[in-house]
Amino acid sequence: MKQFGKILKFELKSYVKNKAFVGITIFLVLLIAAVMFFPRIAVLFKSDNTTDTPDELSVMLIKAENSAQADMVKEIFANAFTDYDVQITNDSVDEIKSKITSGEAECAFVMTGATEYTYYVETLTIYDSNSAIADEVLQQIYQMNAMINGGMTAEQAGEVMNIQIKGTVESLGKDQMQNFFYTYIMIFALYMVILLYGQMVAMNVATEKSSRAMEVLITSAKPLSMMFGKVIASCIAGLVQLSAIFGSALVFYNLNESYWGDNMIVDSIFNIPPELLVFMLVFFLLGFLIYAFLFGAIASTVSKLEDINTAVQPVTYLFVFGFLVVMISMGSGSVDNILMKVCSFIPFTSPMAMFTRIAMSTVAWYEIVISIAILIGSTIGIGILSAKIYRVGVLMYGTAPKIKNIIKAVWKA
Amino acid sequence: MILELKNIEKSFGDKKVLTGVSFKAEGGKAFGLLGRNGAGKTTSIRILMDVFPADSGEVLIDGQPIDYNKIGIGYLPEERGLYPKKIIIDQLTYFAELKGMSNKDAVKSIDYWLDRLGMTEYRNKRLDTLSKGNQQKIQLITALAHDPDIVILDEPFSGLDPVNAMLLKDVVKEQIAKGKIVLFSSHQMSYIEEFCDSIAILNNGIVALYGDLHDIKRDYPRDRLVVRTDNPDAIKADFGAACAAIENGALIIRLSDASEKKAVMTRLVQNYDIDEVKVYEPSLNDIFVEVAGDAAKEV
Repeated sequence: MKQFGKILKFELKSYVKNKAFVGITIFLVLLIAAVMFFPRIAVLFKSDNTTDTPDELSVMLIKAENSAQADMVKEIFANAFTDYDVQITNDSVDEIKSKITSGEAECAFVMTGATEYTYYVETLTIYDSNSAIADEVLQQIYQMNAMINGGMTAEQAGEVMNIQIKGTVESLGKDQMQNFFYTYIMIFALYMVILLYGQMVAMNVATEKSSRAMEVLITSAKPLSMMFGKVIASCIAGLVQLSAIFGSALVFYNLNESYWGDNMIVDSIFNIPPELLVFMLVFFLLGFLIYAFLFGAIASTVSKLEDINTAVQPVTYLFVFGFLVVMISMGSGSVDNILMKVCSFIPFTSPMAMFTRIAMSTVAWYEIVISIAILIGSTIGIGILSAKIYRVGVLMYGTAPKIKNIIKAVWKA
Repeated sequence: MILELKNIEKSFGDKKVLTGVSFKAEGGKAFGLLGRNGAGKTTSIRILMDVFPADSGEVLIDGQPIDYNKIGIGYLPEERGLYPKKIIIDQLTYFAELKGMSNKDAVKSIDYWLDRLGMTEYRNKRLDTLSKGNQQKIQLITALAHDPDIVILDEPFSGLDPVNAMLLKDVVKEQIAKGKIVLFSSHQMSYIEEFCDSIAILNNGIVALYGDLHDIKRDYPRDRLVVRTDNPDAIKADFGAACAAIENGALIIRLSDASEKKAVMTRLVQNYDIDEVKVYEPSLNDIFVEVAGDAAKEV
């Protein structure tokens, strides 16, 4: 226990002294700050722009078939395309085209009937929804005209066209729309942190082995203390880093809350229910530990640093599989499918799968308890097993040992 | 204090590494553990240090099973290595603390050793900025700083220049004088001969030769004569294949039996102008090559 404390202290100190670790944390905090302050800064610039240059709108040309159509279309288009300076033109199609290519106008609608037009634009971007808007507007005009011709007054027709539907949505379970974003962020954070820190633990172990510091270490400390000391130190470092990032995000958001307005997504992210944060912490800790133990154990069997990546691949695949199952299920909207249910009880996938189900669906309490119990049991088991692999692994040099031999050696140890 | 390994057996998988290894090492004396590469020295040391358990057999201190919480062991591994990127005082303190020292005692002891080995100026430097010999001295501190009861030195002299080798010799002698058990493992026989009172030669996991070094030498067949003379050619012609020159100009005559000694000596003195003739005392090197080399050939 005393040794564990010393190892933990030493490993933590290494993280604090690691310039890359500190640098990345500071960089991420600054990045978050920049994002969170963005609306406030943007407002400063915007207020300057709107007062000085009110008439810098792009020009949209409309060529109508006749003047009656021109009057009606101009007004409606001007309302529909507020981003544009809508102008009626009598130029020929060629002249319109040349105006667009020269940049005098950005785009043009040339009407060839009540329901037909050609849309001209210099570059059609994927965000260009002008023709879709025009379709809708023209459809409305056509429908109104049809109603008026059929005997309705213009007012009556207008009422029919503008009828508003009042609906209220009440979710009795979870609101997936709202939960989606923060669940997504949390799962992603879990994914990044576990992979990143798992690799760090693996590197740490393999470096000690390849520099032969292991020769002294293994004769000075118990493998169990070594393994738990390293893994728990990296876990604490990971938590500190995550807290710094999420904490600074929260602080900076509160400073700028008024500037963010009623952005539903941002709002939902910063209003995570507290009990979910507790679940997040539990699954994060257990998921982190179980994978870090595996990474550490595997790295101990590797003789050369460059072999680590190949060696840890099976574990990485297992983890990525869990991540994909969760992501695809989240995307499809059904987080309670059979695969997710199974995954939420398997220790290697349950941290992400069960957490997602708790966040986005309604899970019975006993399911949660069983899942967490399995996870805790397996984490301790994997921890002890990894310490055994570690003791056998660190003294094996030369070519990477076969899994069969490791199992045999661990069994005997 | 007496350290005893008793009937140690160890296999890795199907490969038997140690078979019935037994030897005793006494406090206040140095013990040499010799053997060719792969003979089982490191495995014996690791079992002694409880890195892994033996399949059977015991490690005893004064007849009782060793208590690793009470008996401190210092180890200089043959495969040298510490943390290359870490500050020397930091990592030395860490290792000493792992061995059970308090931070304060550790720093005090390390400062003493840094000074003793002339390394104080490197105290706050990274290990990889040091030369190989200096790194080795730092490594030696990890073996000695916690004032262990048993000091295990695996190839301690390799890579040291003569001045540093001298320094290390003094340190080793000091440790022996303090009554510690010093266990040497080396291929440099001259150092073993200089320090060790007893030796064990391991060969393929078996103790091929074990005992007091002087006794071993004395018990060795006295069937060779060293002859110093001005006209070696005549003697060479006389004795033929049984006679060979050694580096310092003397001749070695191998007798077909030790009992011939007197007759051959008389014959030499009567027939030739002899400066010196005596029984050849085998060096540890000769003994090692004979014991480990021959046995290796048989397998």
